[in-house]
Amino acid sequence: MSEFTSGFFVGGESSNGRVLIVDDEPDIRKVVRMTLQKAGYHVLEAENGAKAIETINTGENRLLLDVIVCDIRMPKVNGIEAIAYFRQNYPRVPLIVLTGFPDTDMATSLLRQGVVDYLVKPVEGETLKAAVARAMEQRELAHL
Amino acid sequence: MASQLPTKVAILGAGRGGTALLDLFHQIRTIEIVGITDQNPTAPGLQRARELNVPVYERAADLIGNHGVTLMLDVTGDPSMERMLHEQAPAGTDILSGSASRLLWELVQHESALQAELLHAEKLAGIGSFAAGIAHDMNNPLQLILGLAENLAEERDLDAVHLQARDIIEAVKRTTAICRDLTSYSRRASSLQDSMIAINTKLDEALKIARYAAGLQDIEIRKSYQPDAAVKGNPDELLHVLVNLITNAVQAMEHTGTLTLETATIDGAPQIRVSDTGAGIAPELLGRIFEPFFTTKPPGKGTGLGLYNIKNVIYRMHGTIGVESQVGRGSTFTITFPRETVPGDRSTRP
Repeated sequence: MSEFTSGFFVGGESSNGRVLIVDDEPDIRKVVRMTLQKAGYHVLEAENGAKAIETINTGENRLLLDVIVCDIRMPKVNGIEAIAYFRQNYPRVPLIVLTGFPDTDMATSLLRQGVVDYLVKPVEGETLKAAVARAMEQRELAHL
Repeated sequence: MASQLPTKVAILGAGRGGTALLDLFHQIRTIEIVGITDQNPTAPGLQRARELNVPVYERAADLIGNHGVTLMLDVTGDPSMERMLHEQAPAGTDILSGSASRLLWELVQHESALQAELLHAEKLAGIGSFAAGIAHDMNNPLQLILGLAENLAEERDLDAVHLQARDIIEAVKRTTAICRDLTSYSRRASSLQDSMIAINTKLDEALKIARYAAGLQDIEIRKSYQPDAAVKGNPDELLHVLVNLITNAVQAMEHTGTLTLETATIDGAPQIRVSDTGAGIAPELLGRIFEPFFTTKPPGKGTGLGLYNIKNVIYRMHGTIGVESQVGRGSTFTITFPRETVPGDRSTRP
């Protein structure tokens, strides 16, 4: 599975849950990781929608990924396409959108598709942690 | 109206008025400029006429006696010229002089002011479409700044504090660069004298700004630049033209494709080519795309003035713009500038 590991980074051990952050900006992944790791989450990273799909389909992530935090404007597979894929194939995993572009039409449409939160950057650490904690409560555990 | 015979005009006087008429008439296909003359051999309009390949007459009498002229336009303001015209112009030639020609000159000035306004208005309307790109590019560094600052409030390791403070400073610089690019782009085109423009640099600058209007994430960009390519003109206006052409090209490709930017010199004439691998333009629409208010975009999405303004700017630079397109394969816009502006003569070197 080594060919799949380039798109994400497995964070430190923790027990609060496993979060995948999808953003093309390494800086964003860095600060989101920083915030969520401090709150005890295990953080994975993907730099675009294609890598995110690869990541969730890799090994134990299929079963153990709890929450996805996803940007919209990204190369390769963008956020809209990736979210459609996740909703279709992993409906048990709650999705949070974290985007630089406040667009009410897009937010409405994504929330209708089952996205649990639509956050606009810059978002405070407390807000992000609260959104992830809410999403964790909504997740359904995978049936083994 | 292709069947209309051209009006064959002679311009007497090559000062500011004569030059403005020359520039305007040169853009109108139904007007043919037979020649221009002025007592003063260094009058600005004579130089411009040579650039435009319009015949320059040393002696006014030679132009006045020309039987091919249908309209004599006297903008000298000199009563003796008016007398000479009425005495010597061939029978049947119309003469416009005195207050009538002054009125014409005023209308021309008015038209040129309107065109400048229109260009600016269309540019500002276009900036609305930058909102998504600007928000994306500003909010990402802001997220980094906020996240790092929150972390700094609790950070105990001094080395980490220093590193994060430096990251914050870099992120602030990135944010301010966006504002700088956009404010310099949105300002009114300077009315300064034309200058030599390095077109490769302008294309790169335009690409940077077009990113805000159109998602370039999945567009492959190919550049084929001729080193030192340069043309004479207004740099702000040329930048606007290039931003529009690149934005159009990217929008024509929807999500993915190849954008090709080329500069070259063909037979001594500098050329800029902007090509896309997008939807292409239907043959029946090709002839209309440079018309004012022509747009295929839904209401509110396009002013229909982009290509019209582009054409006007290029004509003012004495160049031409053409398009080749194939539905389903893409379009290429080619701007060709006159030979005179090729760099290489000593005057264009620093």
